[in-house]
Amino acid sequence: MKVLVAVKLTYDINQLKFEKDGTPLLDACPRVMGEADKCAMEEAARIKDAGKAEEVVALTVGSSKEHQRILKDAYAMGATKAVAIKVNDPDNLSALTIATIIASFIKKTGPYDMILLGSGAGDTHSSVVGPMVASLLNMPLLANADRVKVEEDDITIVSTLEDGQYKFRSRTPAVVTVTSEANEPRIPTIRDILRSKKKPIDEISPEDLGVELSKVDLVDVKRYEVPRKRVKIDATDNVEEAVDQLIKALEQEGVI
Amino acid sequence: MLYTINKGVLEELTGFYERLYYSTLEYFDPMIVSKTLHEIVSKESPEAVLFPCTNKGRMIAGLLAGLTGYDTVTDTVSLKPLSDGFEVIKLTFGGNASATLNVKKPMIACIVSGSYKESETLGSKGEVIEVNAGEHILSVEFSPRKLEGVDPSKADVVVGAGRGVKKKEDLDMIKELASILGGAWSVTRPLAADYGWADAWIGISGLVINPKLYIAIGISGQPHHTMGVRGAKVIVAVNSDESAPIFEDADYGVIGDLYRVVPVLIEKLKKGK
Repeated sequence: MKVLVAVKLTYDINQLKFEKDGTPLLDACPRVMGEADKCAMEEAARIKDAGKAEEVVALTVGSSKEHQRILKDAYAMGATKAVAIKVNDPDNLSALTIATIIASFIKKTGPYDMILLGSGAGDTHSSVVGPMVASLLNMPLLANADRVKVEEDDITIVSTLEDGQYKFRSRTPAVVTVTSEANEPRIPTIRDILRSKKKPIDEISPEDLGVELSKVDLVDVKRYEVPRKRVKIDATDNVEEAVDQLIKALEQEGVI
Repeated sequence: MLYTINKGVLEELTGFYERLYYSTLEYFDPMIVSKTLHEIVSKESPEAVLFPCTNKGRMIAGLLAGLTGYDTVTDTVSLKPLSDGFEVIKLTFGGNASATLNVKKPMIACIVSGSYKESETLGSKGEVIEVNAGEHILSVEFSPRKLEGVDPSKADVVVGAGRGVKKKEDLDMIKELASILGGAWSVTRPLAADYGWADAWIGISGLVINPKLYIAIGISGQPHHTMGVRGAKVIVAVNSDESAPIFEDADYGVIGDLYRVVPVLIEKLKKGK
């Protein structure tokens, strides 16, 4: 099998801070490979380790030093090839443009038997790029996988959706999106990390793929907060008193 | 107009739409749902196609976007018509920020539950149209979510348990608290997906709820989770870690050991009834 894994450089939103006027301080926010993307990469590496795939191509849209870094991480986890799409400002591209770039790359360099993506990025979490890629390639979509099983040319996933648990199965080729619960991504050995540093990263431009870039027409981004009262009730010593205080407050709110 | 694969909702919604399309499907199969919807959209040429911002909604929205080439925005809380498109406000960065963007029509949007009040009916019943969805593309097996007690997405009071709850048996006190308040209980994603203590969880990838009261017990407050409860009128948090981020999102933050606080709360509420 030949597997493609698309990974995104995401902001670590747990560390995102804001200016007083509500502007997010994105430059100061650390960036990492998306958590679910890491699980997608791990899934591909396991398929390769099991002898079911010979090639695992890692792809990311963007070619900055940080994009190169997550592709090196993909190498250290087991990718056999890494490709960066040369775009200056990938974060401003629409989800559909990103999906079109990925699909065009697949058409140009494929066929692939399995396309793996994280089910959602840690920062934007739109979860639509994988489904878009599936439609653009006219391939079946197996989305939101908490577990993935590959048997010859058959893929089965388990997906937890709003009303219960689904087992979706399809023949390859298929697009599979993986949640951050799908597996525990490996921590590469020092040897793998050192090796990954020497491996080449191919670069390809959207023009080479015949894709026109469409940017999001962003007006502004601001901190968003639901106003909360943030009343602290100390129950470290006197639990009784604290609980009385809480019940009284909730009665006054009219919610109990 | 509306498209659904759940025929059961047609009766209730007939007053809100001019045309209500439905298909009868044995199981939810995103592939045929999106293909059938694509046919309807091609015929109707709407200016916007709206979905609930759920896992299923995002899936179908993305598939439809790939088929139509429409721009797609998820986590939408507001949509205002402009002359050639829409001004869209969406939540991003784990719900910590909101972004305003202009999107050309036609577009696709996934709307966050609780963003709008229920609209008025049109005053007349819509036309109900059955659409043949064709053969399944995926092979699907489905096990419905087992509900113990009240459905959290419909309850006025929801009690949520997080990793501060150490053992599965300890969920009993969470369930008891929920039951005394006439509400539902649920958990965070790790308790359901990693430990298997429940079938569903509250969070951006699970249930998004809008109760009058949400009580977060032993929950640290990761954005994944808090995105799912931002619609709650009042949020109470019980946590022993004073610096837990959940206190930023709570109206009443009880700093203390949940194993001491919850039993006292149960006892006092019982007495008060």
